[in-house]
Amino acid sequence: MPKCLVCYKWTLDEQDIRIKPEDLSLDSSRAKGKISDFDRNAIEEATLIVEKQGGAVDALSYGTSTVKQSLKDVLSRGPEKAYWVADNSAESADAAVTASVLAAAIRKLGQYDLILCGEGSSDLFNQQTAPRLAALLGLPCLSFVQKMSVEGDTVKATRKLEECEEAVTVKGPVVISVLSEINKPRIPSLRQVLGAAKKPNEEIKIADLGLTPEQLLPKAARRSVKGFVMKRKNVIYKESSAADNVAKLKGSLASEGLC
Amino acid sequence: MNFELTEEQQLIGQSARDFAKQYLDPIAVEVDRTGEFPKAIVQGLAKHDFMGLLLPEEFGGAGAGYVSYAEVIETLSRSLPAVASIMNNHSIAAYVIQNWGTNEQKKQYLPHMAKGELLGALAIYERGPMPGIGPDALVATKQDGGYVLNGKKAFVRNAGEAGVYVLFATTDPAAGPKALTAFIVKADTAGIKVGARLDTMGLKGCPIADITFEKVVVKESALLGPINQGLAIASKALAVASVAEAAQTVGIGQAAVEHAAAYAKQRVQFGKPVFTLQAIQTLLAEVATDCHMARLGLRNAALLIEEDKPFEVEAAMIKSFLVRLGSKMLVDTCQVEGGFGYSESMPLPRMFRDIAGTNLLDAPADFPEQIIAASIK
Amino acid sequence: MSILTVDTPAVKQPAKDLAVNILTPEQLEIKQAARAFVAKHIIPNADKYDKSGEFHPFLLEASKASKVFAMAVPKEFGGLGYDALTQALVLEEWGYGCAGMGTTLAASVLSMDSVLIAGNEEQKRRYFAPMINAEIGAFGLTEPGAGSDAGAGKSTATKAGDEYVLNGTKCWITNGGFASVFVIYALTDPAAGMKGISAFIVERDRKGLTIGAADHKLGIRSSSTVELLLKDLHIPASNLLGKEGEGMKIAMKTLDMARPAIAALSVGLAQRALDECVKQVQTRFPGKPFPGQTLSFKLADMGIQVEAARNVLHNAMRLRDIGAPYSKESAISKTFCSDVAMQVTSQAVTLMGSQGYTSDLSKYMRDSKIMQIYEGTNQIQRLVISRAVLAPPPAAAAAQKAGK
Repeated sequence: MPKCLVCYKWTLDEQDIRIKPEDLSLDSSRAKGKISDFDRNAIEEATLIVEKQGGAVDALSYGTSTVKQSLKDVLSRGPEKAYWVADNSAESADAAVTASVLAAAIRKLGQYDLILCGEGSSDLFNQQTAPRLAALLGLPCLSFVQKMSVEGDTVKATRKLEECEEAVTVKGPVVISVLSEINKPRIPSLRQVLGAAKKPNEEIKIADLGLTPEQLLPKAARRSVKGFVMKRKNVIYKESSAADNVAKLKGSLASEGLC
Repeated sequence: MNFELTEEQQLIGQSARDFAKQYLDPIAVEVDRTGEFPKAIVQGLAKHDFMGLLLPEEFGGAGAGYVSYAEVIETLSRSLPAVASIMNNHSIAAYVIQNWGTNEQKKQYLPHMAKGELLGALAIYERGPMPGIGPDALVATKQDGGYVLNGKKAFVRNAGEAGVYVLFATTDPAAGPKALTAFIVKADTAGIKVGARLDTMGLKGCPIADITFEKVVVKESALLGPINQGLAIASKALAVASVAEAAQTVGIGQAAVEHAAAYAKQRVQFGKPVFTLQAIQTLLAEVATDCHMARLGLRNAALLIEEDKPFEVEAAMIKSFLVRLGSKMLVDTCQVEGGFGYSESMPLPRMFRDIAGTNLLDAPADFPEQIIAASIK
Repeated sequence: MSILTVDTPAVKQPAKDLAVNILTPEQLEIKQAARAFVAKHIIPNADKYDKSGEFHPFLLEASKASKVFAMAVPKEFGGLGYDALTQALVLEEWGYGCAGMGTTLAASVLSMDSVLIAGNEEQKRRYFAPMINAEIGAFGLTEPGAGSDAGAGKSTATKAGDEYVLNGTKCWITNGGFASVFVIYALTDPAAGMKGISAFIVERDRKGLTIGAADHKLGIRSSSTVELLLKDLHIPASNLLGKEGEGMKIAMKTLDMARPAIAALSVGLAQRALDECVKQVQTRFPGKPFPGQTLSFKLADMGIQVEAARNVLHNAMRLRDIGAPYSKESAISKTFCSDVAMQVTSQAVTLMGSQGYTSDLSKYMRDSKIMQIYEGTNQIQRLVISRAVLAPPPAAAAAQKAGK
């Protein structure tokens, strides 16, 4: 009967973000929020485990004031209770800051057998939060998990690495970050959506976490965020033969250092 | 005044969107091609509580409101509006039972309808000028212990697949529609003959057929609502249904205008994407505007229904609006796509055929203008 | 040809819907014959071919006796030599019967218009001969990248001795699957762009011409719409129409001439939808000649539109027949009549509700949509019309010139 905690991020839906053609800056004014994609897999995995073996799933998120918009969403997907930390520092937080906040919150909440995260967030995809969190909590960390099972206090997982798959076993408590291959999140039924309103949520005030202002500031400052637009060169080779066209193309690619 | 959906309504819409993406998009072309009733989809809808969306929790429904309902109908219609038709005809039949049924009737039918085990259908229209008039009108003759039904119903959606019909028969042919009475009749009752499926222009997958009733015996307990009050019940049911139909129109129109805009951005003629042409922008803008206005209008009507306030005028207005402008949405978006908007290898022709079925004026007395004019002070 | 009025005793009392006030007796006779032909051969089969989407060779066979596929072929070549208005009368009847089958006739005439405009005597004889035998032609201009931008075509025609070799792809070619003769447009001078396009006659049995996939369409389903694949297609140099580089000019003149055919099909289609709608109303309200104002007035509006459309078309055709400039009126007729057809057929379906949705009315609505698109979209037509509308009036133009 594992006690699970899922850490999730409330991000902007990237398909609503427009790139301004004048300066390539991002216009997110019409972007809606969503639970970060891989975090959805983490929530689903925890829910599946608990459905099979009993136990409970809590959810925890650190974000700006918009994090409150995530509560009904996350509670409609399986967790029994949602905890949240809302602070402006989340706007510029990097993985180190996020991990510090989450670790401090988790120390207040108590013992969990399994702490699950998505492998990376939809917006930044740093892939650092879970390992940093594990280090701060003094727990083992399993990343790139594409399959897992829980037996008693033991977790068996398959990690998908670049060149191979690694099968690992670890005794909990443990921090796990999951890949999207691990499951296909089910669509919340209407009763689950409407039932979310009846589930509890609780704010954890950042002031109560005992962190210094420096711990809430990223060490690397972000200078700018620009959209990437593929520019087409629109060059057509109209030589008399295919061989000549190929030669011209090759020359053009070579002059750009591409071959 | 908030024009935004509540969090819950948005989440319900999100679930519908995910459902449509996963289950409806992959089969839309096939269902249109074969016209086969998508049984598995209907079961899937039930599993996600969509079939009992409007029904109270005590009957196994989701207990959600009409605004959520309209949002789901619109969302499903962006992918496969025939499924929305099936759902709507079922849900409105359940709505009638819920609002006019006895406790026994509600207990007997609603839980099964919420679970999708029993598919509902509304049988109101006839081939004559109005229900209750004409040689083939459905007549309910009183007899010992109940009634005998004789006559025909026309254009019944979900016919043949439904397990229960909410039908309207006249108890007095001389009085015609004034003596219209509602009944709940199980589809397997002896004497009910579902005719051949009618060939529809679109919304294929939602069966439509005429039904013949030959000496169909029903018990007194089949009476739904007060006797001879059926016209008022039918009118209200149709008004409620029409708001969801408006959501179907808007869903199809929205999907079409987005498809046409995406097409226009990549279709290069005269050296530039046709999207840059003012004429194309005008076509797209008008459709997008009409969709937006219609959506606001239908959400207003939906909210009134949800809050149990008078809504018939607002429902008539949105119906009148879309009767004028609904099919135009696809006339214009097909125009944007030119030859591609006429080839069935692309989605717009299918949407053209579908949208025409969502703003039909069925009984002539339905002309919404009468209701609207009467409401003007 | 003198124009007789209804009051002239020589004219028999006409049926109320024949709009005969200003048709000559010959035109009236041809119209009535077309109507009878359509009633016998087209109306009973339209639904079947719409459902199967198959082409209708039986109709070509049945047309042999009347030579209607040669209606635009001048008499000296063995054709019927109908004037523009008469051709429109025939196409109106065919559109009334089935817009898909009407398209076959209209598109065949479209293709031969190119030959009429730019062909020499020998070419005309060669191209028109099959039509006298109810074989059909196809107009091959459109390509995947050249729709409204017709001049953007990429197909090439390379001169080789006393031949041209054609390569390229054409798409949405009406009649392509069953035509005996084609007029195909290709670049003889790719570097010159639009000005390098030339027009060619291509016979079906030429090697290198492959009939590609047929398109399943929203409407006019019995009309054959195919891709044409040209791969090392050799034709004699004598198949060149006009001079090299004149292709676009010929194409534009052809479309100018052929546009009203679509207007005619549209008028017939709209009239049919109105007539069928009225029939359904009368069945639903037996013994009620005036079923309430809302419904009756909407039918009146449909009647207004059809009447106006027919008159716009006939006016344009009369201008052409007296040799007056008619380009603006031609474009107006195509635009207005196709818009009317779309509106009237949509309205018919809506008014008749579920009955309309499950009846032939839905076919007319599907068939109408293409009228606003092919042979020059209604947006292209508005370019032509707006230029004419915005052009300075003749007096002002002359004054401007004088002032220079």
